[in-house]
Amino acid sequence: MTDTPPELQPWEVFRQEKDGDPMRHGGSVMAPDAELAVHYARELFGRRQESVRLWVVRRVDVLDLSDPDLLQPPLDRSYKKPGGYVMRDKLAAARAQSGQAKPKARPG
Amino acid sequence: MNSASLPTVALGHLLGSMADDEFVIGFSDSEWTGIAPLLEEDVAMSSLAQDEIGHAAALYGLLGELTGADPDALAYDRDPDEYRHARLLDHGRGDWAMTIARRYLYETSDAVRLEALIGGAWPPLAQLCAKLVREERYHLMHINAWFVRLAAAHGEPRDRLVAALEALSADASTVFTPLPGERALLDARIQAAPMAELEARWRAAIAPTFEAHRLTMPPAATSPTKGREGHGAAFAWLWGEFNQVRRSEPGAVW
Repeated sequence: MTDTPPELQPWEVFRQEKDGDPMRHGGSVMAPDAELAVHYARELFGRRQESVRLWVVRRVDVLDLSDPDLLQPPLDRSYKKPGGYVMRDKLAAARAQSGQAKPKARPG
Repeated sequence: MNSASLPTVALGHLLGSMADDEFVIGFSDSEWTGIAPLLEEDVAMSSLAQDEIGHAAALYGLLGELTGADPDALAYDRDPDEYRHARLLDHGRGDWAMTIARRYLYETSDAVRLEALIGGAWPPLAQLCAKLVREERYHLMHINAWFVRLAAAHGEPRDRLVAALEALSADASTVFTPLPGERALLDARIQAAPMAELEARWRAAIAPTFEAHRLTMPPAATSPTKGREGHGAAFAWLWGEFNQVRRSEPGAVW
């Protein structure tokens, strides 16, 4: 080791609340190395038994994608969403033609 | 074991000393809340200190079941010279290196002591120790990480750790002070080995770390039988702090 103190860096912490749940971002901790990052993640996101699993990732290892040209392109994208296809009028016309009633909502 | 053959007095000494150890180190380390070297460590040290107070509560509770005493009264209402924690824990908070050195010596000692009780013949204590060990596992990981980092650093961090170990050296092994009635606990198979043997196990456990980092192993205690008495001014101050609220309104509950 050198005489210069280790520098703190940010680590992102993901937590699973119970078995089967997805991993969700919990927040971040500052730590000089992986071992202490795990200890601090455990204290900040697990000391009250609120997690069954933690993932701790060095922030610089997270691949960031926020380019608007890639994620929010300017042209109409409604045809990529189910809402882009309005089916209500077409369904009503088909029912009228076949003489079928609108199905009732299924219970539950 | 039936209750008639239970060595109650000796068991009381053991439980009382363990409870006082956890209680005093818990309060002492909680002194870092708000002023630890970094925010994350502040949360960690405060949480560890709370854990120790929780362990003390469980141990005072068990002692209370054994003797009929009120656990809160045991914790708060005795005079300073009635506490039986190890003198190792009498050293004031000091700097961060002092806290790390003290915790390291204590946690490694406590681990050896718990190991000797976990298979014991009195189920309430054996079961409690099995639970404590699971929490102390993390405490050991945390304190090892810090101890090794300070020891391996050059310059001031290491110098401060060496100075702290030197200041603690005469009291370093006081967790293993033989307790009155130890023979009865050994005969009843509540405690697996005498304190002298546990101290040897502890020395063997920490020697590789001390050797790897060229640190001087703690010497034998200067007064091996008086390691849990004569607590001094630093503890008198801490005592005044931790029972201040209770003394300000006797009998208050919340």
